[in-house]
Amino acid sequence: MTTSTIALDVKDVSRNFGGVAALADVSFSVGAGEVMGLIGPNGAGKSTLFEIVSGNLAPSAGRISYFGSDCTSQPSHARRRAGMCRTFQKVRLFDSMTVAQNISVAASQCLPPGRSVRDEVAAILGQLRLDALASRRPSELTLADRKRVEIGRAIAGHCRLLMLDESMSGLTHEEAEHLIGEVLALNRQRGITVIVVEHVLSVLAALVNRLVVLNNGRMIADGTPRQIAHDPVVIEAYLGKKHSALL
Amino acid sequence: MTVPAATSSVTSSRSQGVPYRLVASYVLPVAIIAVLPLLPFVNNYIIAATVRALIFISLGQAWNIVAGIGGQLSLGHGVFLGLGCYTTGILFNRYGIPPWIGGWVGVVISSAVALVMGSLTLRMRGVFFALATVAVSLALVQIALHFVDLTGGGDGLALKFFGNSLWAMQSRLPGPFLYASLAFVLAYYWITRWVLASDFGLAMQAVRDDEVAAAAAGVPVFRTKVLGFMLSAAMTALAAVLYMQFYMAIDPEAAFGLSQAIQLQLPALLGGLGTAFGPIIGGAVMIFLSEVTNWGSTKVGINGLDILVYGLMLLAVILHAPKGIVGVIFRNAFAGRAH
Repeated sequence: MTTSTIALDVKDVSRNFGGVAALADVSFSVGAGEVMGLIGPNGAGKSTLFEIVSGNLAPSAGRISYFGSDCTSQPSHARRRAGMCRTFQKVRLFDSMTVAQNISVAASQCLPPGRSVRDEVAAILGQLRLDALASRRPSELTLADRKRVEIGRAIAGHCRLLMLDESMSGLTHEEAEHLIGEVLALNRQRGITVIVVEHVLSVLAALVNRLVVLNNGRMIADGTPRQIAHDPVVIEAYLGKKHSALL
Repeated sequence: MTVPAATSSVTSSRSQGVPYRLVASYVLPVAIIAVLPLLPFVNNYIIAATVRALIFISLGQAWNIVAGIGGQLSLGHGVFLGLGCYTTGILFNRYGIPPWIGGWVGVVISSAVALVMGSLTLRMRGVFFALATVAVSLALVQIALHFVDLTGGGDGLALKFFGNSLWAMQSRLPGPFLYASLAFVLAYYWITRWVLASDFGLAMQAVRDDEVAAAAAGVPVFRTKVLGFMLSAAMTALAAVLYMQFYMAIDPEAAFGLSQAIQLQLPALLGGLGTAFGPIIGGAVMIFLSEVTNWGSTKVGINGLDILVYGLMLLAVILHAPKGIVGVIFRNAFAGRAH
């Protein structure tokens, strides 16, 4: 891949919490337009990596490049304005605001000058089938709808890289399928690169064409779902023989 | 952009029956206050009490910007009331600079102090900012007590009196202050409405709700908090001009003391944090209670009855109406969205 086709380049990233190494020398790249999964057991360092990539946490060592530019020391709001978007493991909406206002916050901050926030919000509400819920508050929504609103807020304005942190957890099979369809549509229609942290293997199988596996803060595998499913190290550390068949 | 399409549909449904609501909510109260001095049974005491209420409403409106909309608990907001009052008073007494100009100097100084205080403390989450504002206000009490030549020390600073003078912004009667303070309340109400509907206000509310999520939505959290704090400080310092010209004197406790800081918070806390109407209702209730309890405490001979009533009122609101009086009154009419 050339520099311009690499959406995200994580180079030798480490993060220590006191004497504990949450991440140690993790390196991988994500191509533009790719849909990549990040998996591993609890405590593997997936969420820490998401926090570092999104700018919420500084790495102890290493470098993050986004579409060829070093963004390691960039604050999270600046990364978001550059199109690096994320959701959270536990949905974090603005509770005092309506659905439309939640999306408006991001649209008003991230849209290029000259484009209408109102139109952008309307387009996202339509694309994620949230029109009917536009005036509702987060407390009035189901978990699946709250997750869709969070995705809507994440992509509003300007989005080139979308990082989904366990967005399918807690959803019914049907709800997860709908959301997968919507994420894939975003990938196809808007050309958004997607990184997914997920424990539900069937979701990963339907979504991603590449998996990176973390264990104890280290990267132990990188390959297609088929390759990962047959990797003895991954089977030993995370999947087990029974679950590897799901990929 | 201000209000997104989906929310404007809410606005339009809200505006059904606008003439009645407009008259009841805006025109009638303003008209009553405006004609107050003309009514036969209204004396200077009632007008002065109304002016006091309007001044504290405008100070509460200013505090509501940073605390109610921005979610940053400034416990020592008296800092900016004091800076506004002392700046105006010192410039007038020592250099003959009228409050029309001195007030703006106070605004600039207060904004600068807010910038420094905010820059030092608003990166931190939790109680640090609140504690820092308290620390600064306590420090300023001591500074004001120390520089006696400049501030008058513990005796306070009394303005030189010129009688009825537009230049000196002084009047023997409270009437002119009624209209000035009413203008302040109306202006601050519309500023609050504008902030609530603007991109900046939306960003402030996002920061209030969840700083991490706000940053993930592209909001520059630190800058938004500092700007909100500066706006609130500037509004407080400007309203302080009115306070100083009406009371004609200021002392360190009245300016920077914590009891004064609490009085600045009560209108919004009682009325409804983060709403445009909240401080107006809350301030009116606060001063009404203050007058009644002052009268009552004189009758029964118990000092500090007003403080006790404030405390009980605040406790009742916190326990039973966390959205304030406005939240209770407008719950049905606006479906809990009282702006």
